[in-house]
Amino acid sequence: MIRSRLTVLTAAVAAGALLAGCGRALPTAADLGGGASSASAVAALSPTTPPPTKNWNKPVVWATYRMVDTLNPVQAFDYPEDTVDTTLCDSLLRQEPDGTIVSGIATATYPTPTKLVLNIRTGPRFWDGHPVTSADVVYDLKQASSPKSGSFYTQVFDRVKSIAATNSSTVVITLKQPDYWLEGELSEMPGVVYEKAYAEKEGKKFGTPSGLTMCTGPYEPKKWIPGESLTVVANPHYWDSTLAPRVHEIIFKGIGADATLTSGLETGAVNGTYAQGIGTYNQLKRDKSLTVTNGPAANVDAMVIDNTKGVLGNVKVRQAISDAINRTALIEAVYHGASQMPRTLESPGQWGYGQSVFEQDWNHLPPMTVNLAKAKALIKQAHAVGKSITIGTTQEISSLATDANVVRQAAVEIGLKVTIKSVSAQDYIALFESASARKGIDMFPTSNYGDYADPAALYNTVVMPGGSQNYDDFDNPTMVKDLNLARSTANPDLRASYVAKVGDLMATQLPWIPLDDPDTVLITSHQLTGAPVSFVYMGGPWANMMGAR
Amino acid sequence: MLSSPLTKFILRRVGLLILALIVSSFVIFISLNLAPGDPLSALSGGRSLSKATIAALNREYHLNDPVLVRYWDYVKGVVLHFNLGTSIQFREPVSTLISQRIGSTAELVAYAAVLIIVFGVGAGIVGGLRRGVLDNSIIAVSTILAAVPSFVAAIVLIAIFAVDLHWLPALGNGSGFGGTIQHLTLPAIALAASAFAVVTRVTRVTVRSELSLEHVQTAVSRGIPWPLVVRRHVLRNASIPITTVVGITVTSLFALCAVVEQAFNLNGIGAALIQAALEKDFGVVQGISLVLVGAFVIANAVVDLLYAFLDPRVAIGARAS
Repeated sequence: MIRSRLTVLTAAVAAGALLAGCGRALPTAADLGGGASSASAVAALSPTTPPPTKNWNKPVVWATYRMVDTLNPVQAFDYPEDTVDTTLCDSLLRQEPDGTIVSGIATATYPTPTKLVLNIRTGPRFWDGHPVTSADVVYDLKQASSPKSGSFYTQVFDRVKSIAATNSSTVVITLKQPDYWLEGELSEMPGVVYEKAYAEKEGKKFGTPSGLTMCTGPYEPKKWIPGESLTVVANPHYWDSTLAPRVHEIIFKGIGADATLTSGLETGAVNGTYAQGIGTYNQLKRDKSLTVTNGPAANVDAMVIDNTKGVLGNVKVRQAISDAINRTALIEAVYHGASQMPRTLESPGQWGYGQSVFEQDWNHLPPMTVNLAKAKALIKQAHAVGKSITIGTTQEISSLATDANVVRQAAVEIGLKVTIKSVSAQDYIALFESASARKGIDMFPTSNYGDYADPAALYNTVVMPGGSQNYDDFDNPTMVKDLNLARSTANPDLRASYVAKVGDLMATQLPWIPLDDPDTVLITSHQLTGAPVSFVYMGGPWANMMGAR
Repeated sequence: MLSSPLTKFILRRVGLLILALIVSSFVIFISLNLAPGDPLSALSGGRSLSKATIAALNREYHLNDPVLVRYWDYVKGVVLHFNLGTSIQFREPVSTLISQRIGSTAELVAYAAVLIIVFGVGAGIVGGLRRGVLDNSIIAVSTILAAVPSFVAAIVLIAIFAVDLHWLPALGNGSGFGGTIQHLTLPAIALAASAFAVVTRVTRVTVRSELSLEHVQTAVSRGIPWPLVVRRHVLRNASIPITTVVGITVTSLFALCAVVEQAFNLNGIGAALIQAALEKDFGVVQGISLVLVGAFVIANAVVDLLYAFLDPRVAIGARAS
């Protein structure tokens, strides 16, 4: 959940230039237009680009922040792996660019709340021509849910009792309790369908450059030079003719440094990328040979509160800090404006169902603008003036350094004493994994996302008891109750209403303090069009939507 | 035969190589283990994993064994099975990863070496032989280049020749001879720039000091044609210090190329080393470091052999004075 900002670190170390470590200077209030806070921005961002009219005949060079490491979906989590896996493979269910979930390789039905039946379509074949059978699907799901396979996704199967094939095209998942979140997971990496016989034959080599994979997707791997490039070619027999690829060949390259990526895009050596907080955003926007498109956000930037034993245990102190943060300045400094003002710990790009319910709720939440008078009053009420907090960060990743700096300014302004504890990027990652690394740190910045388009996918990790990112054992019975209700509710709008209630509490209880909702940013050669501009590239088909303008 | 100076020299150098590899492998292994961070966090990208998964992965990669046990396993693997271990990040044998990348680095270093030898030594000789405007400009240019770190050179070269003028590609390795030359020209210049300056200056000073020696002056006064004097008396004698400095700078390019490879997105071992060190991919760091140590020792041996070839008075293996 750390996301790509480590790329900046790589670049800085490589260049021997620790310039990136200084954080970016904040613009003064006078420099800022404040456009990022407008409420209508939500509706203005579309998750799609104009569809192509022609085939694209040259190879497309696509950049990810580092080279893909594995094609094994159960160990795919970060941007490069997810971007590539979604190009090669189909999941049981399919994520659309707007986050909705539809049928994929299979159709899902719930005959009873604790029984999920997957009916496998009859068209999809693996690249070797073999049809997809229930044996493949059972194998894939068992790999994804078993710790023995080294799966990163075992926790999402915690309500699953059994997975079994009832005939060659039907798989039944029996649940211990109703679980409507499982659909979301099956539309993503844990639901990726690959051939059992192939995976067993390759054994430990499955997913590696020498073992590759065997999927049904629109592209198949042709040549993988580890750490350098992965070339994939269009699958001429792709089962879904509405999404037949219009680009014949895609070469994925890992490019870490912003400067290298920028010159690659400007010279046409790179044709496209989903950029994460790129420092040269404005320069690329001005380049006539490129198209920069902003889409709805799916990740949220926030301060993780990992210690509520200190002064941050008082919700008034958290609210005071939140009210004092100058998010407009932060958005300008880190994203050059390509990020939105948050209202709670979610972003509109995460509404994969129940959109109208979520949107209605969102519209009555106030944007998190600065309110110093209220902040100062709250901190006095909490008797916290002069108390100390420690903010963890890493100077090696400039956006995180800037986040910490803006929050420090806010906290100091309302009378708190702030220590910044800066660690190496490696140790920063450890903050997410080890309690000893978090010791002495009260909060730290993150850019975080859930597995699929549902605010609950993130909330679940933050506030549920034992949640993977619930570091301070935050426990709010109402939130827990509503999340459990949401998980067990079949009706999408009703489910959304429970999640929206949790979102409302998130905005006032602040188990984490939201900072901003960064746009999904797609940068392509001007002639290349069609790629969706949403988080779908992390879970659903996107590459086969591209073609020539 | 066994007692011939060449055999003795080779045996001694092989011994040195083995010793260097053992010592450096141990130091690298231990320091990687002492440094903070965890290969699993690099593997998972920071995703919080379940305890059972962590346990399974630790078992698979032997991450819970004591350091010395792991080092011993590593040495056994290398010595008995010629197995450099497996990359945690790429799940591939380290030897495969290195062999796929070493060619790219070797091409880059070779190209840069040619530039250094042709232009660096060339400019040094010209400057040494001829005082005047040309010499002064060579000094000026080499002073500037000496001060430019290769990552700055890379940024400037890309901005001018790739982005603005579109003459040469900004990144990638290229394929075929022509493509490789085209793609590696900017990286090789970036890599050679500061080394070029050193070589030029040392060559220039050496040539200059040879010129002022008595035997050269005598040769000139005897009426021996100038080109012959330069070839036989000046360059011949200047060749040993020049070889030394070229040898040292070219070997150091192996270590410097990491920065340039990253800037131009080349698929070399230098860039891989940086990436692996960040990701705590022990096997890869270890493997590439050993390759670099080996390259250093071998390059030094070649330079020493060259001494004997260039100047018969120098015995094989002896340091030229």
